[in-house]
Amino acid sequence: MQITFWGVRGSYPVPGAATVRYGGQTSCVEARSAKGECVIVDAGTGMRALGNKLMREANGPQKYNVLLSHVHWDHIQGLPFFSPAYVPGTRIAIHALLTAADELNSVIGGITRHEFFPMPLESVPAAFDFHQVEPGVEFDLGSFHVTPIALNHPFGSVGYRLDCDGSSWAYVADTAPFDQVIHKQHFLKGPEPLSADDKVSLEAMRDALLRRLEGVDTVVYDTHFLPEEYAKFPHYGHSTPDQALEICAEANVRRLVLYHHAPSHSDEQMDQIAARYLAKGEAVGIEVLTSFEGMTLPIGRKVDAPERTNPGVGPA
Amino acid sequence: MKIRFWGVRGSFAMSGREYLRYGGNTTSVELVTNAGERLLIDLGTGATELAKQLMGSEFGKGQGKLPILLSHTHLDHIQGLPFFTPFFIKGNEIRILGADPNSGSSLETTLQNQLAPHYSPLNGLENLAAGVSIETVRPPATISVPGFEVRTHAVPHGSMWTTAYRISADGKTVTYLSDVEYANLDEPPAEVLALAKDADLLIHDAMHADHDYELRRGWGHSPARAGVVVAERAGAKKLALFHHSPDATDEMIDEVVQRTSARTAVPVFAAAEGSYLDV
Repeated sequence: MQITFWGVRGSYPVPGAATVRYGGQTSCVEARSAKGECVIVDAGTGMRALGNKLMREANGPQKYNVLLSHVHWDHIQGLPFFSPAYVPGTRIAIHALLTAADELNSVIGGITRHEFFPMPLESVPAAFDFHQVEPGVEFDLGSFHVTPIALNHPFGSVGYRLDCDGSSWAYVADTAPFDQVIHKQHFLKGPEPLSADDKVSLEAMRDALLRRLEGVDTVVYDTHFLPEEYAKFPHYGHSTPDQALEICAEANVRRLVLYHHAPSHSDEQMDQIAARYLAKGEAVGIEVLTSFEGMTLPIGRKVDAPERTNPGVGPA
Repeated sequence: MKIRFWGVRGSFAMSGREYLRYGGNTTSVELVTNAGERLLIDLGTGATELAKQLMGSEFGKGQGKLPILLSHTHLDHIQGLPFFTPFFIKGNEIRILGADPNSGSSLETTLQNQLAPHYSPLNGLENLAAGVSIETVRPPATISVPGFEVRTHAVPHGSMWTTAYRISADGKTVTYLSDVEYANLDEPPAEVLALAKDADLLIHDAMHADHDYELRRGWGHSPARAGVVVAERAGAKKLALFHHSPDATDEMIDEVVQRTSARTAVPVFAAAEGSYLDV
């Protein structure tokens, strides 16, 4: 199994000279089994370039499985620009956390409402079907065994562990840490005091995450913030690399990949973050890599340097 | 009057080295009068860059006032809204002016839907700290914006229409015709010509290279030559090609400018992110 990063940025796409190496597109990761089966995790703006690549590879219409962590814009905005969707016969199965699959249909359909996009979902040639996932309820997609994991993010988010070809990786985004703030179905102006029940819920969420991540080879984690940024915005629903390292160390994870970079972080800052956390990871026996657009990683084995789609991307 | 292009890309924000000179951010254009009054057209991702600059001024202190004109609410024209930081500072007064979308929803409902809890942690316009007013424009209409004279007209965009703007200040005129496609490229509607009449600068949709256009006729966007016809007929003094295709690399845009310039006496350039122009 291998994974390729098509969008690594959080919140919104940030084109420009300051982001050419790590990339400006938002969340989208492609997982491939040894047999070539494809699962797409999140449908941010990175999905457009992925779709163009899949079109070049495809021999006729295909079926694509898309796992969504949640439906904030930066995780779904690429979907209307996924070119295979305009090929008749294509089937796109969308798996997401929501209370009802029909609601999911209307939420995804909502992003292509007439006001936002010229073509409504029902006119798109591909056939869409919607599947509701529930944290802890495992399922199979071909060779992939998928385990959804509840995360701490405004209005809910779900991570995924994917087991395939004798190895495993997990996608843990978007999530806040599990100590200071609990995200529920309401708007947080700022951190609110935790009740005793909240503390119990957070601890249970953290324990379940640790259980699911136990022994996973590679964990891709929402590390949007540096610690000093997190201190200002603990209620935004994102974590720091330190918080990710703590979770990965407790769960005996071999490799941590920093992901969902803040839109304000330039390539130079990303180089510094990458170097700083590579060292911090080494200190606790975890290989820490910083994702960049176009990075491909084999799961289950160490690499000296991640594969790059072109020589101009990645760390300096 | 000065103009600055903050986002010039159509449909989709493009990052990467091939897009650095013209820029990958989606549409947003700032106009400033000699007296310093400011107006923004469209809230694509380009607006987030302007926001950083504004935060260093009175907007950072909650004393900024800004009218924003929307051509329409397709996502590439509003996707910067949740990240336009002046909205988060109490005391700023921001007016969003635009037509109701053609779907039957109001402008306000549409922007509320954009910030609905499924899609955005902001969870609604009411959680923006700044004073935000949503004002419905019904083209053809004249809008009152301090320092500017603004005329509007509805123009065709595929199966719907968008709002085009003619904006005058300091004795100069800018016409904004983004996201537009005429039934007959050689015969632009009279109201379009009226809007662009003697404009000092015409900003025109040039999403498609001329040779690509045949494949995408009816999708609501123009080839570069459509802007040339409008500029020549209306007597516009300068033409800015705008709303570049996400597939158009810097080199491709250079070629379009060359080819387009060769067919007209009107000075033609491609709008580039970050560039200033004294109108």
